[in-house]
Amino acid sequence: MSPITIGWITLPFFLGFSIYLLPRLARHLALGMALLSGGYGFYCLLDPATVTLQLLGNFGVTLMIDSLSGFFILTNAVVTAAVILYCWPTDKSAFFFTQVVILHGSVNSAFICADFISLYVALEVISIATFLLIAYSRADRAIWVGLRYLFISNTAMLFYLIGAVLVYQSNHSFAFAGLGRAPTEAIALIVLGLLTKGGIFVSGLWLPLTHAEAETPVSALLSGVVIKAGVFPLVRCALLVEDLAPVVTVFGAGAALLGVGYALVETDTKRLLASSTLSQMGFLLVAPAAAGTYALTHGLAKAALFLIAGNLPSRSFQSLRQNPMGRSLWIAMAIAALSIAGMPLFAGFGAKALTLKGLVGWRAIALNGAAVGTAILMSKFLFLPSSSWPDKGDSLPSPRARPAELWTALGLLLSGLVVANGTSLDSYTGANLVKALGTLGLGGLIYYFTLQTVTLRIPRGAETLEHLIGAMSLMLAALFWMVLT
Amino acid sequence: MDSVLEACVFATVFCGFLGIILKKNLMMKIIAMDVMSTGVIACYVLVAARGGWFTPIASGRGEPVAYADPVPQAVILTAIVIGFSIQALMLVGTMKLARDTPTLEIDEIERNNTP
Repeated sequence: MSPITIGWITLPFFLGFSIYLLPRLARHLALGMALLSGGYGFYCLLDPATVTLQLLGNFGVTLMIDSLSGFFILTNAVVTAAVILYCWPTDKSAFFFTQVVILHGSVNSAFICADFISLYVALEVISIATFLLIAYSRADRAIWVGLRYLFISNTAMLFYLIGAVLVYQSNHSFAFAGLGRAPTEAIALIVLGLLTKGGIFVSGLWLPLTHAEAETPVSALLSGVVIKAGVFPLVRCALLVEDLAPVVTVFGAGAALLGVGYALVETDTKRLLASSTLSQMGFLLVAPAAAGTYALTHGLAKAALFLIAGNLPSRSFQSLRQNPMGRSLWIAMAIAALSIAGMPLFAGFGAKALTLKGLVGWRAIALNGAAVGTAILMSKFLFLPSSSWPDKGDSLPSPRARPAELWTALGLLLSGLVVANGTSLDSYTGANLVKALGTLGLGGLIYYFTLQTVTLRIPRGAETLEHLIGAMSLMLAALFWMVLT
Repeated sequence: MDSVLEACVFATVFCGFLGIILKKNLMMKIIAMDVMSTGVIACYVLVAARGGWFTPIASGRGEPVAYADPVPQAVILTAIVIGFSIQALMLVGTMKLARDTPTLEIDEIERNNTP
């Protein structure tokens, strides 16, 4: 196992630079890497044993691979493969594919590492590769959105580094397991860094603009997997260190509600999807034991929705209601949206049932509320009109649509959703079915009778750079208080 | 002595953080971030020096000395390199933005580039 793992985790970095030397093979090499990761992810899922590797001695790199990592690696592989297929015929340069492969590799390393410094390196490489992908078009706006992302994540990682050295000071090791014996300020600083990186609660308000303004395939990649690289270590630490779990789940529940509230007032498809990611990350965090399946289903469905939203004639719901889209595109969109909302027959149902099962008290109420909210959000997509003969003239998009590649990518993502459903057959109990359908129906009804006609607006002041950085200090104070009590 | 140094280190981090929030110019914000990362690096050096100050190189002769812990030093070296490359990337981005917004005022950049 260990030589395979080491070979697999270093390969993307070698491949990334080889692509730059062999630009003709860029697409093939990138796709090959994604498929290889898919195979490795499957292997992790089939083999339930936890593998722990300690490389280069006691102070070296610690890796930990189990079925939780397997789910995240598989998500990464499928979404990356879909994005590469989507970009296959475009004139994207080898540079783009280099960055995609390096991003893929660094996200994978974030999913298997078990010490704070390897994680730091992985997260920083992710920041750089993401910046280069966002700024790929070199338009002023793209550069600013990327710069803003880099600025926020780097500031958060500086806090994280202070936390990491405090963990080292008390344990003489950077391993995740030492977090339990670390001083409170270390926990607060590290959790702040990861909350910001993973787009959780108020620290995650940078996310809607970044994910919505990136190019379509990049948005799919960012919302599908990259954001989970920040959430995964929190899940891992919450499972390893018992004291941390209550803190993390509080933020998870808060994020689920905040994200839904934020998304309800959106009138733009991509911003709505990005805000919904904000709330889905909360679902992921609130039940660490069920995070793997949830990450997989959310990643596939959200990536599909972003790819579809990028190929609609307009980004505004208002104009989409007036211009029907093609029937087949609508069906694909409905599958992905229903899966996120937790419809039986799709993988999202099993994942949501598993997440909501273990919750008690106010967390259960909050999360069920957020689930109804998610159903309302997805109704916004489901109630869009479609026609079987779209008028080629103005309702079908645009120079961006490349039907064959869009359908290959969507086919991969959506079949993943249906296949993953097969693994969670034991969730199909009467109570779960009634609950899921009730949630969906209630969400649909609320949307149909009230929100369809009402448009609310909330100010976006909290999304300016200075406020985002300032919010970090507030979050740090809140974390101190929570960890102390 | 140790706690005075520690206070200075955290004061540096704090000054850098305040600079990021309060400075209006993008260039100054990036420099403030550099100040903050200098504080973090000093923090690692301080932790490494808790046990002693000698360079941790085995000489093979003489009595054992209180040497500095090499692990945080090695780790922070990686972090310095990464911080440096991110700084470089951000400065390149700023150069590009400066063509349309020569003053680099953050409010103006945000107004021009937010949908």
